[in-house]
Amino acid sequence: MKEESKEFTPNILYALCSWCGSGGSETAGAMKLHYPENVKPVRFYCTGGIDPVYIFRALLEGADGVVVSGCHPGDCHFDTGNYRARRRIAAVKTILNTLGLDGDRVWLRWVGHGEGKRFVDTASEFDEHIQEKGPSPLKGIRGV
Amino acid sequence: MERIYEIQMGIEELARRALETGTVGGVAALLEVPETNKIAFTLVRAPEDVKGLAPFSPWMLENAARSISQMTREAAFTQPVAVILRPCELRALRELVKLKQVNMTNLILISFDCPGVFPIGSRLNGNGDLPAAYEKAVLEGTNCPGIRQVCSACEEFVPRGADMVISLVGRSPTDTLRAAFPTEAGQKFAEALGLLAEGREVEAGEERDRLAGIRADEHNALSARIQGSLKDLDGLVSVFDRCISCHACRYVCPVCYCKDCFFESPAFSYYPHSLHKRLEQSAAGLRLPLDRLLFHLGRLTHMGASCVACGMCEDVCVAGIPVSQIFKTVGGDIQQMFDYLPGGSPDDPLPLLTYREDELKEMED
Repeated sequence: MKEESKEFTPNILYALCSWCGSGGSETAGAMKLHYPENVKPVRFYCTGGIDPVYIFRALLEGADGVVVSGCHPGDCHFDTGNYRARRRIAAVKTILNTLGLDGDRVWLRWVGHGEGKRFVDTASEFDEHIQEKGPSPLKGIRGV
Repeated sequence: MERIYEIQMGIEELARRALETGTVGGVAALLEVPETNKIAFTLVRAPEDVKGLAPFSPWMLENAARSISQMTREAAFTQPVAVILRPCELRALRELVKLKQVNMTNLILISFDCPGVFPIGSRLNGNGDLPAAYEKAVLEGTNCPGIRQVCSACEEFVPRGADMVISLVGRSPTDTLRAAFPTEAGQKFAEALGLLAEGREVEAGEERDRLAGIRADEHNALSARIQGSLKDLDGLVSVFDRCISCHACRYVCPVCYCKDCFFESPAFSYYPHSLHKRLEQSAAGLRLPLDRLLFHLGRLTHMGASCVACGMCEDVCVAGIPVSQIFKTVGGDIQQMFDYLPGGSPDDPLPLLTYREDELKEMED
């Protein structure tokens, strides 16, 4: 099983807020920690500013999964952006689940500025999680 | 339980008296236009113009919340105006208030328990006669065959928060009105017209409950049907691949109010060289127009929480996509998760504009 799944390298988008999420990745760099190379970090100003359409576009255009990380609750640089993000991600997951598209291909996990290890762990864990799931069925239908 | 009064007049007479007594300066409702055999949402000012008032018509050519928005967005009415709306229009109106697109000042909200409407096409291509089957269904409290799918599965057919609630289900169109006045503004309106003094208190019929039962069953059946048809990816693709990207669904949507729609903007369009590159990489080529599924998924996230399932989008879809049934099903799940009924209470904030600190932990991974 493991051998088989290794053949598939997922295409993963890691959406990070400018403050804690990106901070976590910087800390990981300073600590010289490694995360899978197929996980591609994208910096957003705040998780609250991630329009769900960006997530859908990623899934429709070749991403096998999208993981979102921002400041822990109570730590948002803009006070409330992460709470708003949580509501949006919840809507995205609900839509995907209702349409039979597997909302578990989208993850939300808080990563603080100093949590370099948590950033790397999240990237690896999500990578394995998507490897188990296999390629996203959505990416074959580009253009629809 | 609200008190229902039998009023010795029809809807035209009520509107005429409201205008004659100066209780209201205008009445906004559907009106028959005999010259063109059409109905149109109309603002009537003169008592003699109320002839042809047809708020209970089994057709809905637009969600009238849009018209009210157009008339009050920048400036409220300076004198009371009675608006006669279907429950879904009333709910859309309340969503638009939250989106700052409607000013409710001086509006007297009249609504009725709605038996549902037929698709627009049947009116535009037909003679406009009230089908006998519809009359019978209203009288008995059942679903008339041929009404919009989302209407036959609508459980919110009894208006919430209207100033005057007319009981239509269980009645014949020629009967005099039965109505309740649940709000203070409604009570004042009724007193000004002398409706309570003349009226006789009556018991609510059982037809409304019968219809509620039928609608609940239909709702479950509709959700199961839609989810079944979309369940695997092939289903989803075959449904949305029909889309021609005209975006008519968003133009008629009462909740989609943005003047500059995200999906009309260049925010998500690619430069040609990006598409050329992609063509080089892809043997399958590109299916055009682009971003059809993205448009619907995106619209679901933008307004799914506020969808009142009025059915306008599906009616105007030339491609025959069951848009409103899909939006009712998916939007319903979003609303359930946020414990939100669109247009239900003016005090509930829009789900995506609010949050609680101690919620949705199960959405974190």
